[in-house]
Amino acid sequence: MRMKRIGTIGVAGAGILGVLALTGCAADTKASGGGDDKVVLAEPSWVGATANAAVVKKLLEDELDVKVEAKQMDEPVAFDALNSGKADAILEDWHGVPKKEKLYVEKKKTVVSGGDLGVVGHIGWFVPKYWADKHPDAVKDFKKLNKYYKDFRTSESGKLGHFIGAAPSYSQHDKELIKNFDMKFKHIPSGAEAAQLKELKRLYDAKKPFLTYWWEPQWMNEKIDMVEVKLPKHTPGCEVPASKAKCGYETNQLEKFLNADFAKSNSKAAQFIKNFHWSTEDQNEVAGMIAGEKMDPEDAAAKWIKENKSKWEKWIPKK
Amino acid sequence: MSSPTLTKDETTQSSPPSSGSSGPRTTPEAPSALARFAANPKALALVVAALVVIVSGLVSGDGTWPHSLTADVKSPLNDLDNWLVDNRDTHWIFLYFLLHLSNTAQVCYDTLLSLLESMSYVGVIVVGTLIAWAAGGADLSRRALRTGGTALAVFVVCGVLDVWEPTMETLALMIVAVVFSALLGGLLGLASGLSDRCEKILRPVFDTMQVMPAFAYLLPLILMFDIGVPSALIATVIYAAPPMARLTSLGLRQADPTALEAATSLGADARQRLLTARLPLARKQMMLGLNQTIMMCLSMVVLASLIGAGGLGSEVYEALGALKIGDALVAGIAVVLLAVLLDRTTAAAGERLDDVATSGISRTVERLRLAVWGGIVVLIGVFAAVGTAIAGNEWPEGWVVDFSNSVDTAVDWFTDHLGSGIPVLGGTITWAQGFTEYVLNPLRDGLLATPWWGLALLVAVIGWIVGTWRAALTGVICLALIGWMRLWDVAMDTLSQVLAGLFLTIIVGVLVGILCARVQRVDRIMRPVLDTMQTMPQFVYLIPVIALVGQNRTGGILAAVIYAAPAVIRITAQGLRTVDPAAMEASTSLGATGKQQLFGVQLPLARKSMLVALNQGVVLVLSMVVIAGLIGGGALGYMVVQGLSKGDLSQGFPAGIAIVCLGIMLDRLSQPVGKRVRD
Amino acid sequence: MSEAAETTATAENEDAQTNVKANDNDTRTGPVFSVRNLWKVFGPKADRVPGDPEHAALSQTELREKTGCTAAVRDVSFDVHKGEVFVVMGLSGSGKSTLVRCLTRLIEPTAGTLEFNGEDVISMGKDALRELRRHRASMVFQNFGLLPHRSVLDNVAYGLEIQGMAKAVRRERAAEMVAKVGLEGLGERRPGQLSGGQQQRVGLARALAVDPQVLLFDEPFSALDPLIRRDMQEEVIRLHREEGRTMIFITHDLSEALRLGDRIALMRDGEIVQLGTPEEIVANPADDYVRDFVRDVPREQVISVRRAMRPADAAEAATGTEITPETLVSDAIATVARTGEHCRVVEDGHVRGVVDHASLLTVVAGLDKDSAGEDGMEREVAAV
Repeated sequence: MRMKRIGTIGVAGAGILGVLALTGCAADTKASGGGDDKVVLAEPSWVGATANAAVVKKLLEDELDVKVEAKQMDEPVAFDALNSGKADAILEDWHGVPKKEKLYVEKKKTVVSGGDLGVVGHIGWFVPKYWADKHPDAVKDFKKLNKYYKDFRTSESGKLGHFIGAAPSYSQHDKELIKNFDMKFKHIPSGAEAAQLKELKRLYDAKKPFLTYWWEPQWMNEKIDMVEVKLPKHTPGCEVPASKAKCGYETNQLEKFLNADFAKSNSKAAQFIKNFHWSTEDQNEVAGMIAGEKMDPEDAAAKWIKENKSKWEKWIPKK
Repeated sequence: MSSPTLTKDETTQSSPPSSGSSGPRTTPEAPSALARFAANPKALALVVAALVVIVSGLVSGDGTWPHSLTADVKSPLNDLDNWLVDNRDTHWIFLYFLLHLSNTAQVCYDTLLSLLESMSYVGVIVVGTLIAWAAGGADLSRRALRTGGTALAVFVVCGVLDVWEPTMETLALMIVAVVFSALLGGLLGLASGLSDRCEKILRPVFDTMQVMPAFAYLLPLILMFDIGVPSALIATVIYAAPPMARLTSLGLRQADPTALEAATSLGADARQRLLTARLPLARKQMMLGLNQTIMMCLSMVVLASLIGAGGLGSEVYEALGALKIGDALVAGIAVVLLAVLLDRTTAAAGERLDDVATSGISRTVERLRLAVWGGIVVLIGVFAAVGTAIAGNEWPEGWVVDFSNSVDTAVDWFTDHLGSGIPVLGGTITWAQGFTEYVLNPLRDGLLATPWWGLALLVAVIGWIVGTWRAALTGVICLALIGWMRLWDVAMDTLSQVLAGLFLTIIVGVLVGILCARVQRVDRIMRPVLDTMQTMPQFVYLIPVIALVGQNRTGGILAAVIYAAPAVIRITAQGLRTVDPAAMEASTSLGATGKQQLFGVQLPLARKSMLVALNQGVVLVLSMVVIAGLIGGGALGYMVVQGLSKGDLSQGFPAGIAIVCLGIMLDRLSQPVGKRVRD
Repeated sequence: MSEAAETTATAENEDAQTNVKANDNDTRTGPVFSVRNLWKVFGPKADRVPGDPEHAALSQTELREKTGCTAAVRDVSFDVHKGEVFVVMGLSGSGKSTLVRCLTRLIEPTAGTLEFNGEDVISMGKDALRELRRHRASMVFQNFGLLPHRSVLDNVAYGLEIQGMAKAVRRERAAEMVAKVGLEGLGERRPGQLSGGQQQRVGLARALAVDPQVLLFDEPFSALDPLIRRDMQEEVIRLHREEGRTMIFITHDLSEALRLGDRIALMRDGEIVQLGTPEEIVANPADDYVRDFVRDVPREQVISVRRAMRPADAAEAATGTEITPETLVSDAIATVARTGEHCRVVEDGHVRGVVDHASLLTVVAGLDKDSAGEDGMEREVAAV
C-alpha cells in the first residue's frame, strides 16, 4: 500500500507535552512554506502521475535525504496549490487548465515551468482491436463510425451509440466534436478514471464493442489492445472555444511546473526535479507494476531504480 | 397514503387512487369504500393531480421549465470564481479571517498528528486502551474491561492491516473535528435551547443541514480554503455540528420543568439555573448528540478525502483509483473499526455517567478515577518524549498481514460470475440493462415529458396531504429554484434515479426488516452486517458495483440501495418489534396466524416508523445517487464532481444547490407532520 | 407563633383549636400574605381582561369565546396569617396551582395587589424578588423537582448553594434537614434510588433547609400512594407542631384539606367560592357546589358541638359530663353513648348549652339547618 509518509516533523526531541505541542506548531509552519526540509508534490489522480511521484520521492529521500510528501490533487487544484506554495511541484501536467496556467505562469509569475517530463501524452478516440479488425474503414475515418453506431448502443445511450467520455478533470472536447460533426453518439462522461478503466476492462473481457476517450501513456494499454480512430488533425488553437472545435487532440509534451519560490531557491530538490526526465516506456513500466501487478508504489519505484541506475544518475545534482 | 384504512378487508379491491377512480367495479363493499374515498378531499386532490400529470404529460410530451423564467446564474458565478482566484491572497476577508481559520485548523491537526507520531505505536496503543478503559469506568467491571479490550483490539488490527499511519491521520483529524463540532454544536444548541428566537432561526437551518448531501458543499469550501486539511475539517464541522446542536437544544427544552421551577423558586438566577439545573438535566441528550456527532465526523472525514483530507479516506479513494478493491476494503475496515471504537467508548462513557447520576459514586472511586486520568496525561507526556526511542515511530514491517490481493481475486471472481455468468438468469449486467430500459428510462422520460406546472401541482398536493401547506409551498419553491437555475432536465434525471433507488431500497429494506423482526436468527446475523455496512465508507461500494452492472446510472442506484438499505431495515425491524405488545397479545389470543398478525397488526401499527424509514431512505438514497456521479450516475452528481475536480464554481455550485433543493423537497414530501425528530 | 404551636398539641381536635387561636393571632400581627383582587389571565391581550367590568362578569367559557383568554385566577382576595396552615382546595383546572405560583411571582400576576409582610411583592425588582424566594418563601412541588444527578444531601443543600453558602456549612445544615425529615443514612443516595414518599421528603427538606418564613406546598402528596400520603401528612402536621411555620397548602383532596387546614379556601374556575374553617365549610357550605363537595365528609369528625347544642333548660344545666364547645361531635357521641345522658357544653365556666342523642344525630344525619336541597345539588354536579 502506498503510504503518504509524513514522517516525523522534527519533534522527536521534545520532552514535555506542552513543549512538544509548541515545537510541533513551529516545525509545521516552517515546513508548509516550501523550504528545503520537505517537498510537497502535487500528484494528479492517474497512475502515471503516481509513478512519477513514487520514483521522485524515493530518489529524493534515499539519495538527497529530502523529505517528500505527495498530495493527491488534480490539475486545476494543483495550480492553485503551486500558486499559494502549498505544493512545490507538479511532475506531469497535460495543459488541461490553460486559463489557470496563463494566470499563474504569465501574469502572476508565481508558477514556473520545470521543463518537459519526457513523456509524450496523446489523447484520442479509441476502439478495441477486435472491433477495429472487423471494421477497418471506421478506424481510418471517424465519420464512418456513424454507419456502425448501432453496435455501440446501450441502455444508457438509448437510440444513439454510447461514447465513453473522460473523467471530468481531463482535457476534453468530445461532446462538442460529436455535436459539430453530427455523430450519432451520445457522450456519456465517466465519473472518475477508475470507473472508466473498470468499465473498459469489463467491456473488453466481454468482447463488446465500445468507443472511448483514451490516452497514452496509460498502463492499461498493456492489458487492453486498442486502436485509435483518426480524428481531424489538430492545429494550434483549433479547440478554442470548445463549442466550435472540429479537430482532434494535440500531442503533448507533458510538462513539469514548479512553485516560483521553490524553483528560485535552486535547492538540490528543485534541481533534481528540473532534471527529472524519463520516457513513456519507463513510466509505463512503473505504472504497470503499480496498477497492473498491484505493487506498492514505493516498491515499484524501488524496483525500477534498482534496474535503471544509469538513467537516474543524471538527475542527481552535482555537489 | 391517505386512502382510508380498511380494517378487515380480505379482498384486494382497494387499489391505488389512479385506477380507483377510473374503473369502479361494483362489489358489495365497493360503493362504501368508494364513497369514503370520494369524501376525502385530499385523496380526491391527489387523484386529480395525478390525472393532470398523466394527461398533460401525454399531450405535451416535453415539459421542461420555460426559458423565460430562468436566469443566467453561470456568469455571475464565473465572475465570483475569478474574483476569488484573484483576491485570495490579498483581500482582507481572507487575510484576517479565513486564513486564520484555516491556519488554526491546520496547526491543530499538525500538532495532534505529530504528537501521535512521537508517541509511537506503542504509546498510542497503551494510551488509547487506557483512555477507553477509563471512559468505561476505570475499574475491573465488565464494561470497563470490554471497552479497553475493544480499543486494544482495534488499534492492533489497524496496525496489522498495515494502515497504521493513515489511521493515525484520520484519528488526528477526528479529534480536532469532534472537538470543534461539539463546541460549535453545543453553543448553537445552547442558543436555540434557551432562546425561542434563535430556535426559530436555527431550527430550519439544522433541518436543512440534515437532508443536505455533504457532497454538495465541498466545492465552495475548496474555493475559499483551498484543497487540504482545513477545508476538510471545516466541511466536517459544518456537517457534524447539527446533531450536537439539535440534541443539546432538545435536552435543554425537555429538561424537567418542575426541577427548573424548583430552582427558580429557590431564588436561582438565570446563570445558576443554567449551570446547576438545566445543563445537567440535558446531559443525557447531549451525550447522545456527541455520539452522533462523532459518527458523522467519521463519515465526513472519510468523504472529505475528495478535498484533501488524507488519512483512511484517501487510502480508500486512491486504492479505488488504481482499482485495488482489496486495499480499499482494508482501509474501509479500519474505518469501521474506528467507528466501533469511538461508538463503544462514548457509549460506555455515557453509561458510566448515567450510573454516577442514578446511583452515585463513593469518594474513593472518584479519586481513583481522577488519578487514572491524571496518569493518562502523564503517560502521554512520557510517551511523547521517549516513545519513538522505545519503539520507532512506524508500525514494524514484519507485523502486518496482507490479504488485499486475495480480496481482489475473490471480488473479481465473484463479480465476474455474478455479472454475467449465471446460467439461465443471465446475471446482474443483464438485469441492470433491463432495469435501465424498463424502469429508469421510462421514469426519466416520463418526468421530462410532464409539464413543469403539472409536476409542481403534484408536489404541492402531496406536500399538502402528507404535511401542511407549508410543506407544499417549500416543495414547489424548491422545484422553481431548480428550474430557475436552468437545471430542470438534469434535476429530473437525478430525481428519476432517486425515485427508482428509493423504490428498490424500500422493497429490500422492508422485506429484510420484516424478516429481522420475525426471525431471531436472521436478526442476529444481520445486526453486525448492518453495522458494518452503515459505517463502511461509501466509496468502497463504487468500484465493485461497476464490475457488477457497469458504469451507468443503475450502478449508482445499486450503490445507493446498498448504502441506504441498512437504515431502512433497521428502522422497519425496530418499528415492527416495538409494536404494542398488548395488541400482539390480543391478536394471538384471537387465534391470528403469523401472517394475519403481520398484516393485520404489526404493519399497520408500525406505520409511523415505516414512514420514518421512508424519510430516512430518501435522504440516504439522494446522498448516494449524487456521489454516484463518480461512477456514471451522471446528472447533478456528475456536475458536482466536475465542479470539484475543476474547481469550477459556475458548474458545481448551482448543481449543489439543486441537489439541496431536491433533498429538501423530497424530505418535506416524505415527512409526516409532527415527526421531526429522527434517530 | 409559639402560642399556635402549643395549642396544636392536643391531638384530636387540633384543627378546630388552632383555628380559633389563629383567629386570635389575627388581631395581633398583620398577615404574612395579603392578596387583593388578584388576577392571572392567559391569552392574547390578557391585561385588558381584569379591568373590564364587562369581561369580569363572563363565565370561563364565554370569556374564552369572546377574548381567547383564560382567567386562571379571577379577582381573588385573602390573607394568610402567621403560623396558620392555609389550604387552597379545588379540582384540577380551578387555578389553585397558578394562584400559589403567583405568590412568589413564579407566574407573573396580571392584576391585583400582593403583599408579603406588608411589602409590595408586585413592584419588587429582580434582586428583591430573588431575595424573597431564597430566604423567605420556599416551595414543595407535586413532582418533587429534584435534580437526578445530585445526591440527596446536595439536593437538600441546593437552595443554600444558590444563596452562595460555603460547601461545608451547607452540607452540615442539609444533613440536619435530612435527619429531620427522617432520611438519616440516605444522604449519599440519588433521588432515583428513593421511593416517591422519600423523594418528597427530600423536597420538603430542601424547602426547609433555607429556613423560610412560609412554606408553599403545591399538591405535594397527590403523586403518592394513599398510605404514604397519610404518613407525609402526619409529617407535615408534626413539623407544623414543632416549628409553627406558616404554610400554604394546595390540594385537590378534601380529606387532606380538612386534616391539615386551619382555614380552607375553596376554588372553582379561578374564583374563591368559600373561605373558612373546615367546620364552617362542612357545616355551612356557601353554595351547592361546595355542598356537593363536602357531601361525603363524615360531619361528626369536623363539626364541633357548638353547632349541635341546644339551649339547656334548668335541670339539664346541672347534670351531665362537661365538654368544651370545640369538642367534635364524634367525641361527644362517644361520651353520650358511654354515660347514657346528655353533655353540658361549658365555656369560661358558663354552660352554653347541652347536646343529647337527638341533637348529635341531627348533625350526623345532616339534617341541621345548613344542609338541604340534595336534589338541586345533583344537577349542579353533573354540570360541573
